[in-house]
Amino acid sequence: MREETWYKMLIVSTILHFFFIGMFSIPIKKASRRIDLSSSYSVNLVGDMGGVFKGQQENGLSEGRDLPVKQGPVTKKERLPAKRKNAPVRKEKEAVSLSKHKILEKETTTKEELSRLEERIREIKKKTNYFDITQAKRTGGSSSGLRPGVSGSGLPVSSGGGARPLDPVSQKYILDVWEKIKDTWGLPGITSSKQPLETVVTIKIRKDGRIVDINIEKRSGNRIYDESILRALRTVELSPIPASLNTDMIEIGFRFLPGDVS
Amino acid sequence: MGFSSINMYTGGIFGLLYSAGPVAKVVVAILLVFSIISWTIMLLKLKQFSKTEKEGERFIKTIREIDSFKRLVTVYRGNPDNSFYRLMLSSYKEITTRQKENPEIKPETIPHVENILKITITEESERLERKLSFLATTANTAPFIGLFGTVWGIMDSFREIGIRGTTSLAVVAPGISEALIATAIGLATAIPAVLAYNYFIGRLKRILSKMENASIYILNILGK
Repeated sequence: MREETWYKMLIVSTILHFFFIGMFSIPIKKASRRIDLSSSYSVNLVGDMGGVFKGQQENGLSEGRDLPVKQGPVTKKERLPAKRKNAPVRKEKEAVSLSKHKILEKETTTKEELSRLEERIREIKKKTNYFDITQAKRTGGSSSGLRPGVSGSGLPVSSGGGARPLDPVSQKYILDVWEKIKDTWGLPGITSSKQPLETVVTIKIRKDGRIVDINIEKRSGNRIYDESILRALRTVELSPIPASLNTDMIEIGFRFLPGDVS
Repeated sequence: MGFSSINMYTGGIFGLLYSAGPVAKVVVAILLVFSIISWTIMLLKLKQFSKTEKEGERFIKTIREIDSFKRLVTVYRGNPDNSFYRLMLSSYKEITTRQKENPEIKPETIPHVENILKITITEESERLERKLSFLATTANTAPFIGLFGTVWGIMDSFREIGIRGTTSLAVVAPGISEALIATAIGLATAIPAVLAYNYFIGRLKRILSKMENASIYILNILGK
């Protein structure tokens, strides 16, 4: 076979490849919305201030829940069993949210699913000390001097060290964390979306100020928006947890609204 | 879109690859090279086989209408880059070297010509078959290369689950999605290669049987 034919065909083949790759990248982009997690898997931990949470807030929520925090320096190996201990707590959160979603999104979940979930919630409630994080949020939010219900304020919520009301030190620390995240967070240029963007993320901060766990509890539905938040959380550098708090790990939930950054 | 703003959700295939790990990137690069080369071979072979088949039909049509070998040589002026022309040329050379300027073809020359024709057919078959083995290699190995990338990616995903201590889909799904693209590309490389290989092997058989027919026609003409 002549060499020139070989080269010609090689070029044709390469062009064909790039053409097809380019073509395939378009449908995947559109179809990626379908991969979006079903609402029953996302957890609305610190979502709406009113409405949905009212019932739960009125309930007696004084029962405390202690996060199983491991003492001493947390190495990678040691962290794994600690996480496992966390598992029931996580389940509880998820289950709580599922019951909320029952009210919110009846059309997306079937009755069968709901009854199964309710059963699970009851089970988990029995096993663990039930605690609603929104209560902590309300206490923390109003006493920290922040205007409660201010639009766009991603009020942080802490469950570090249990359900005790937030002391000024931790409030200050959490506000500090929030400020730093806000500074790092750059809003992507696609906020012209019609739907209201709201992402709820919980992070775990280690004693030395490192974020060891990022959990998206509620997605906004806009992936670029979610990604920008995750990127900010991955890059942000936080100050260590004040020694006076006497805790090794602190878990904070944030609500990100586009209004936070302006 | 700026380069930094590419991520797995927005950039389609490019986005997935961009956010994939280094092993997945290498695997995909290897598969891309395999795919480009195998498609090059497919295009080349398609052109070569079509041309050879067309020439073969023309050659057999001509040889049926002609009654002497000398006339065939003078009448049929094919492309030198053609298997059927070479078939005729090799037998012609054999006759001229054995008989010098003698215009009459002796019966004892014919077995020699027959051998030469067989050799030429084998040579031509080897020539036509060349590079087809790459298609077979691609068809067999590309899915495994892709699978390797996927297995590696899923290993990463599971490690991530271990480190983060959560099995939420949000943590696992991106890694698996990135990992699976390696298998997808492996299959996309292998499937056309398998189809093309089988197609070309079938076509090669047809061409070879035509060449055998042509060689029988040549021997018949020589016997006349």
